[in-house]
Amino acid sequence: MRLLHNYHYIGAVILFCIGLYTVIVRRNIIKKLIGLNIMETAVFFFYISLGYVDNGIAPIRVGGADPSKMVNPIPQALILTGIVVAVSVTALALSLVILLYRQFGTLDVDHLMRDEAEEAKEAGE
Amino acid sequence: MGAYRHFPVLMITIPMLGAVLLPFLGYLRKRWVATATLLPLAVSAVLGLLLIGRIPADGYLSYELGSWPPPFGIEIRVDYLGLFMMLIVCGISLLALVFSMRYIEREVEGPKLTAFYVLFLLLSAAMLGFTATGDIFNLFVFMEILALSSYALVAVAGNRNAVRAAFKYLLMGAPSSIMVLLAIGFLYSVTGSLNMADLSTRIAESSYSEVLIVAYILFVIGFGVKAALFPMHMWLPDAHSIAPSPVSAMLSGLLVEVSAFAIIRVTFSVFGSGAENLIGGTVDALGIFAAAAVLFGGIMAIIQKDLKMMIAYSTISHIGYIFLGITAFTAEGLAGAMYHVLDHGLAKACLFLCAGSFIYVKGYRRIDDLKGAWRQMPWTCFAFAVASISVIGVPPTAGFISKWYLILGNIEAGNYFYVFVLLSGSILAAVYCFRVIYYMFFQPPKEGAWESRTNEASPSMLAPIWILSFGTLFFGVFSYLLIPSLLKAAAFLL
Amino acid sequence: MKKIISLLFISALGVLLLFVVASMPRMGDPESPTREHVIPRYLENAEEETNSPNVITGIILNYRGYDTSGEVTVIFCALACVLAILGREKRGRIHSYVDRSPVPASPVVKTMVRFLAPFIILFSVYTILHGEISPGGGFQGGAIVGASIIIFTTIFGLWEASRRIPQKFRVPLEGSAFIIFFIVGILGIVGGGNFLTYAWPNIANNLQPSVVLWLTIIVEIGIGLGGAMVLISILFAMMREEEAIAPTA
Repeated sequence: MRLLHNYHYIGAVILFCIGLYTVIVRRNIIKKLIGLNIMETAVFFFYISLGYVDNGIAPIRVGGADPSKMVNPIPQALILTGIVVAVSVTALALSLVILLYRQFGTLDVDHLMRDEAEEAKEAGE
Repeated sequence: MGAYRHFPVLMITIPMLGAVLLPFLGYLRKRWVATATLLPLAVSAVLGLLLIGRIPADGYLSYELGSWPPPFGIEIRVDYLGLFMMLIVCGISLLALVFSMRYIEREVEGPKLTAFYVLFLLLSAAMLGFTATGDIFNLFVFMEILALSSYALVAVAGNRNAVRAAFKYLLMGAPSSIMVLLAIGFLYSVTGSLNMADLSTRIAESSYSEVLIVAYILFVIGFGVKAALFPMHMWLPDAHSIAPSPVSAMLSGLLVEVSAFAIIRVTFSVFGSGAENLIGGTVDALGIFAAAAVLFGGIMAIIQKDLKMMIAYSTISHIGYIFLGITAFTAEGLAGAMYHVLDHGLAKACLFLCAGSFIYVKGYRRIDDLKGAWRQMPWTCFAFAVASISVIGVPPTAGFISKWYLILGNIEAGNYFYVFVLLSGSILAAVYCFRVIYYMFFQPPKEGAWESRTNEASPSMLAPIWILSFGTLFFGVFSYLLIPSLLKAAAFLL
Repeated sequence: MKKIISLLFISALGVLLLFVVASMPRMGDPESPTREHVIPRYLENAEEETNSPNVITGIILNYRGYDTSGEVTVIFCALACVLAILGREKRGRIHSYVDRSPVPASPVVKTMVRFLAPFIILFSVYTILHGEISPGGGFQGGAIVGASIIIFTTIFGLWEASRRIPQKFRVPLEGSAFIIFFIVGILGIVGGGNFLTYAWPNIANNLQPSVVLWLTIIVEIGIGLGGAMVLISILFAMMREEEAIAPTA
């Protein structure tokens, strides 16, 4: 049964689903952003587990380390990029949240969208 | 090998360098920023024009970054379709930029202007890099630059609606990017490679078909959100109608097309040669969604009251056209899709810039207010009419050529239902476009709405509009310049 | 209702993903496809080819340097986005909620921050410069510098911090990461190779390793400096309060 061997991946999938659920269902936009970060973390976790090899060591060639025992360095390199991207998205999203809060005085998505519907109705009349 | 092999990478990195240097210039000499933004894009466009004829229709230019051979380093691979796409990006970005030099001061506050131009350059550079890259993770990196700068460009006006539309866009866009990242991880886990050409050979040999199918589905969802394919289009009408008009032109005329081009890349360059039977089911489903998009976008465009909202829904409809060309899986269909990218880019950018001119001169956004607009703005109205005709697909314009090949491709593939959908999409387009044209030219204006003498926007805003609308006519009449090579390139890709 | 639909959708997606994950190669399998294709060359030859014993640094800066140049553009783009949304601070006096907090930070905290800040920055310099030998590198070091400034700002306020790192100092350095990447790339072309070639073919073979090493270190420094400045500018833009909102202290 491969599923039992791949328990790290299962953890990543569960985290991913929790994050997606938070993004879709939660009404507070800060919580939505936290959900987004959970999704990102799940993917990072998946990548890093992907690089693991049985009894692996860090991929640094110091002191005669055996290359065949080293974990896969590519996912780690990719995830460094992924983390920077995640930080950037979070920074942008938080600055949007700051502006939204200044203008609407609320962080509740339902309020934001209700205002939108009312404004549209006013514009239509 | 001459020096021209360096051109693609310079085309991508010079606008990025420009973007990075621009804040410094903005700190020293604020007035020069707008002009300085033109320079790197113009250099890219010139380099792109010099590449014409160097890349054969059934070949590609491969460039190994850092001199590492492909599966080890990153490869830039520009084929004929890629160069075609890069030139469209350069051209339309330049025109939208020229337009925004006068326009944008109305919508964006002074201190944010430098940031606006930086983001504009980054958006163009990212689209170029996104199109040219031959490495799937590099595709993700450029997609993120693209996505981030487009979120901020929607919000740049800073009013309530703009920020809300941008946040909605971000809440759909960011999870879709994560799905693309997950899909890349899935592909990597069963192939061990990130280079597209290498991936396609490894996929053909791979025995992990479940993983590959789901990776493809995740790619389609991820890029589909960015391209606003029908069930994932919710962000587009708000974002495209509320953003400043030159930004709308960029988003609607380029960004959604570039995302669709990414699906072409993934479908044909990564999965195509070895795994057609694996992705067949997903491609069929994609066709159904695309057909729904054509009809849904058309019907929603008809009932809109706001001009930019109508153009935005029309974009949803036209993305459906491009996807119907992809899912036909024939050379005619793919060539039609690529020609539609050109035609739709020119026409949509023109329509949005015209809408921007109406907003700039009179502040009118509603279609009702355009009654009798030709008395005051005949040139803008005329360009709007030409671009609308191209959107409908009437013969002398490029829209006709692209729809012709889309229909040919679908007939060859035996999808007669989609042929019917394509034709009804044109009828819907005729309804929503002719309504606006009728209001503009044949209705008396409301009391005091329009002056009876000509009073247009400034020439620097009118010129891009006219170049774009002339472009739709030019590529309609002289389609034989491009179509044979596109057919050959499409056949090469299949 | 919306909750139930999304729960159903997400559980369907979860089951699909679990099914996929179950059919993947076993985790940690030394014979999985990821281990046999590109990796062997990286693990065997990276030290000689990129002159950095830390294979990850070799991949980030050399084999996949173009990705990293895109990545520094992403973070620069994030700064441009934040500035486009919130606006950059005016030159001169800026303040935040910390500056007008009625309760000043305790002297113990202030002294500790003053005492620790140089050591944190020293550690970040070590992280940046030793990136090719030990875990670390430009981004990590830049993030540590950023963190030290964040601590300083949250204790002493934006006014003090922006006086130490003024705008005229940050603006030219924010883009330094990509500028250095671009220069290294062009030098690669001038040196007879392709964009971002570190081992220039035009120079003598015995000089190449030291050129590669120096270019790697220069790029690391550029990434660290640029990343740190971008983080600090984002922090300042976010903490700054509009004059209209800030009460007159």
